[in-house]
Parts: sequence; structure tokens; C-alpha cells
Amino acid sequence: MAFLEIDGLKKRFGNVEILKGINVELEKGGFLVLVGPSGCGKSTLLNTIAGLEQITEGQIRVDGRAINDLHPSKRDIAMVFQSYALYPNMTVAGNIAFGMEMRGVPAAERQAAIDKVAKILQIGHLLNRKPSQLSGGQRQRVAMGRALVRDPKLFLFDEPLSNLDAKLRVDMRIEIKRLHATTGTTIVYVTHDQIEAMTLATKIAVMRDGEVQQFGTPAEIYNNPTNIFVADFMGSPAMNLIPAKIDANGSGLSVVLDREARQPIVLPMSGAPSGLAAFKDKPVIFGVRPEALTDPEGAERNASNIATADCHIEVVEPAGSDTFAVTNLGGKGVVARLRADANIQPGTSTPLAFNLSKAVFFDPATEKRIL
Amino acid sequence: MSAVASPAGQVASGARARTLNRIVIYGLLALFAIFYLMPLFVMLVTSFKTMDEIQNGNMLSLPHAPTFAPWIKAWSEVCSGLTCVGMKGYFWNSIKMVVPAVLISTLLGALNGYVLTKWRFRGHTLVFAMMLFACFIPFQSVLLPMATILGSLGRFGVTLQNATGFNFGLGNSTVNLVFVHVVYGLGFTTLFFRNYYEAFPTELVKAAQVDGASFFQIFRRIMLPNSLPIIVVTVIYQFTNIWNDFLFASAYAGSGDVMPMTVALNNVVNTSTGVVEYNVNMAAAMIAALPTLIVYVVAGRYFVRGLMAGAVKG
Repeated sequence: MAFLEIDGLKKRFGNVEILKGINVELEKGGFLVLVGPSGCGKSTLLNTIAGLEQITEGQIRVDGRAINDLHPSKRDIAMVFQSYALYPNMTVAGNIAFGMEMRGVPAAERQAAIDKVAKILQIGHLLNRKPSQLSGGQRQRVAMGRALVRDPKLFLFDEPLSNLDAKLRVDMRIEIKRLHATTGTTIVYVTHDQIEAMTLATKIAVMRDGEVQQFGTPAEIYNNPTNIFVADFMGSPAMNLIPAKIDANGSGLSVVLDREARQPIVLPMSGAPSGLAAFKDKPVIFGVRPEALTDPEGAERNASNIATADCHIEVVEPAGSDTFAVTNLGGKGVVARLRADANIQPGTSTPLAFNLSKAVFFDPATEKRIL
Repeated sequence: MSAVASPAGQVASGARARTLNRIVIYGLLALFAIFYLMPLFVMLVTSFKTMDEIQNGNMLSLPHAPTFAPWIKAWSEVCSGLTCVGMKGYFWNSIKMVVPAVLISTLLGALNGYVLTKWRFRGHTLVFAMMLFACFIPFQSVLLPMATILGSLGRFGVTLQNATGFNFGLGNSTVNLVFVHVVYGLGFTTLFFRNYYEAFPTELVKAAQVDGASFFQIFRRIMLPNSLPIIVVTVIYQFTNIWNDFLFASAYAGSGDVMPMTVALNNVVNTSTGVVEYNVNMAAAMIAALPTLIVYVVAGRYFVRGLMAGAVKG
């Protein structure tokens, strides 16, 4: 039995269904990230776990106990809000201790708990300041301290890093990960940033329009997306989704990518997934991540199926660690990820290696994964 | 381009035009300020003059021999109707009315604003619209219905007196006025607090809920301590309105020793004992106006800031 179980959860506002039957599980000590674009219902889902929103149908269980009818304070959860929600009229210590004060914890015990948390988060020197006197990163720490001090069963984070600048966000992300590793707490975390999702999670639920599109480990989500939405949403730069055609030529199947004013590229699919044969002569969406489309020298050595084709390079973007090259396939700009020192010029043709063992195919009609 | 090409003379004329504009604007502002402050000035200087000086001198001139006698007379001796005990009793009447009325209406307004923004219920906009409507009802139109209600409350007070030996203040003129002012202030105080709390981050309330704070704990520990600007605005507004109210005061406490300051001042000025003592009348009027002046001077900064904060945050 999982530690956190969300079972057939539905949430309606009047006639509008915000959450359309969510089923998610998380083991103890796990890190679940709810990710999706704005308005997908991820924050609403988090609020229902917190008890700040009522659910219409279904059940939420923590450690085997149904909590969906309990008051937020009785659920043994702690929450970190996007705006941090620090009480402006109280000092940092007052903020951290407020929950304990409300539960009638004796002052001496409160002080000990504050000191312990302040030590973990290194905010001891800030305890007597007001939130307005803190920097963004410090406020973030205090907000986490307020959650940590309760030692709850479940931590809820609602886009905690989105108010920080880019560099601080990376630092705090590592900090959260370290905190999770050292304290072993169970965390549910909402973000719209797929990199945060990939780096932090043990389980990811990709959401859209109140539905979980895919639920799995970061590697599953990244390598085996179930539909075009997940494939497109996760990963940066995004997966190349190229309109293509499946062709049968004698021995096996091949993928045909049209090019404007050039010969189409034909990639032989030896050992192709069997389901693909059903799409012979039909349009499919051929998905290949930028790192699976690279210069032949940089291609993965032990990949089982690599095909090389000459591509016309339109744009070259040196990004320091990598060089991104944009070519045109199937009427779309396609990004290839090359080694930083790859010798490549825009306006020339150069061979690119397609790692076909990492390629995925989608049905353009249903947007679902073929295989 | 034109700045580069234009000769120096044109630049200078531009600067001259700006200076002229400034002179006109500040001149007008000064003129209006003088016009507005003139009555206050006349009142103030007259209240320190002797009657001889008033009768023979210029209204605007400063007193030759400033005297506090008119102020002392106004405070403790002046006649209102047939009783000649000064304004001090009526001053305290007003204080006894205004302090509870302001505190209760402000607190209830804050509570209303809190519920209307952070604990929304079905039909909350309708309730708010109806409370807003209360702001636009002319007070004259409620004089009679309110008199009927106060009469019933008074009779209920007598019943309570007979039953329990204590009337809980019902039927007392000061309590009546507090009640009336609380009821009619509620529309405004609710409006102020609702608009302020509308921009107040709801996440703070949610965080407090997760922390286990109750409805009133959130109100007392989170909302009120962060409402200082709007509390100041509301207190100034309510204090000024209730202190200066003449209509309700004269209708429900218009005679005897329960009169508030405003009614008493009217009676003082209308009481003629031969010579009209302008200096005493002016001193009495100044005494009547002082509390609101003091409140504004002390808290005026917050008043403007509070109004601005509401305007910018929307």
C-alpha cells in the first residue's frame, strides 16, 4: 500500500469539472512532482490534498487514513506557498513557531524546535527579523522552515521557486533535493517548470486539462512519453516531432521524412516495433529528442540502430556546452544537439546521426503513442 | 532634432514659460488655501480677543492682548439654554458616544471585509452590494423609522429593567446614538475594509489555516495586525463623521444634559443674553472642532497613504 493514495479524485466548480478523476500513488519518502501548463489543475489538486479546497468525488489517503474530510490543520501536512505567505507582522521565529503556538505547544519546546530548524536551514541569524527585511532566497528558507518545523507526514510545495531569479532557483532546487535526501520526507511538489520536475522527482504526474496524461518515473516520462503532449512538454529543447510516413521496402519498414526541394530522407527501421507495420503508408509523427540527433562522431556508440543522413543546416546556435543545429524536416524546424566543438556551418549540408532506438512514434489523429 | 537646431533664445523662452506656469499654479493654490483657511483663522483670533476689541477692531487683526478668558468661559460657564455649566459636560457626552461608536463600527467593518473577501459564501456580492447601498441612503429619510426602533428598544429596556433589575443601557440616549452611528457607519467601514482585504494575499489566510489557526485567530493575529493603514482611514472617517453629526444628535439626544457637543454648540450660539459674545462662541466652536483636527493632524499621513494604497492596488 502506498503512502499517499489519490483515488478517483474529481473536483467540480458548478458545472465545470476542474479535476476529472485523478489516480496517483506515492511511496513513503517519495517526491511527487505535479507538472503541467497553467490551468491544468495541478495547483487545485495540491490544494485538495492540503484541504484548502473540497473535493467532489474520490478519496485522498495518507498512510492508510482518509484525510479528504479533515480540516487542513488536522491532516498532518505542511505547505510552502508560491508567495511564501510569511506573516508580515511577525518575526522569522514567530512565523516558524506560529503553527506550534496555535496547537498549544509550550514555549520552551517551540524554542527548541525553532533552533533545530534554523540550524538545518542556516537561518539562525535571521530569527529576529521581519519578512520585509529578508531577501527572496532567505524568505524561501523561512517558508521551508515553517513547514519543516511541524515534522509532518506530507510536505506540499506550490511552485516554491517561481518567484526567484534564475541562478537562485538552481541553488534552491539543489537545496530542496538535499533536504529531501537528508530528512527522508514525503513531498508533493507543483511546478510548471519541467526541469524542476525532472531533477527533483521520484515520480512525475504530467497534467493537462484536469487529467493526468502520464504518471511515472522521470526516466519513463522522458524516454517513453505516452502521447504528443507529454513528449512536447518534457525536455528542453523540446522533442522534435516530425510529420513522417512509414514505408515498407522489401525486408523491413522505413521512416520517410519529406524535405522541401530536396530528396526525402529514408531511415531504415530494422527491428522496428511490430505495431508500426499497421501504419504502413500512413502519416505518423516521428519523435526524436535533440540529443538523439547528433553528429556521427558524437552518436551513442552502443545504440542498436543508428541511421545517418545528410541534412541541410539552416541555423547554428553555439550554447557553450553544446551546439544546437536547426534543419528542416517534414516542414518543421528540427533541432539537433551536437558536441560543443562540432565543426558545422549554417547553409551547408552535413551528415546527422539519428539514434532510432530512442525514436518514438505517435498517431497524428489520436496523438497517442504507437509504440 | 529641434533641440539641436533651435537657437538659445528659444530654449530660454521655454524655461520662462515653465516658470510662469509654476507661478500661476502655486499662486492659485495659495489663494485657495488662504480662502479655505480664512474662517479658521478668524475663529482662532476672535476666540483670544476681548469683546471690546471685537466690537472696535478689525476681524482679521491679531489680538492686542490675548486672553484665555473666552476659552475658560466656554469650557465651564457658558449658557446652553437655561443651564450655564459650560461645554465640558457636552464634550464628554460626545467622547462617550464617539469612542465606542468608532471602535465598534471599525471592528465590525473589518470583520465584514474579512468574511466578504476570505470566507466567501454564495451571494457574497449581493450582501456587499446591499451594504454599499446603505452608504447612499440619505440620513433624513431614516429619522422616523429609526426613532420608532429606538422607542421599541427603550421599551424593551424597561421590560429588562423590571425583569432583571438592569436595562443593559437600552433607552439611554448615548447608547442610542452609538447604535445609530454603528448601523449607519457599517456600510462605509465594510466598504473600506473589503477593498483593502481584496488586495490582501489570500495565501496568508491559507497558510494560517494549515498552521491550525481558527477563524477568529486568523482575524486577530494575521488580518488586523496588517491592516493599520485602513484602520487609520476608517477611524478618521468615522470619528469625523460621528463627532460632527448634528442631525441624529439633535433628533435623538436633542435636549437636557445628554446632548452631544454639536447640539450644545448650536444651543450656546442661539442662547442670547443681550450681547452676543463672539469670542466665547468662537472658543466653544474651536473646542468642538479640536478633536477632529487633532485626529487628522496625528494620523493624517496614514489617511492619505491608506487612500492611495487602495487606489493603486485596486
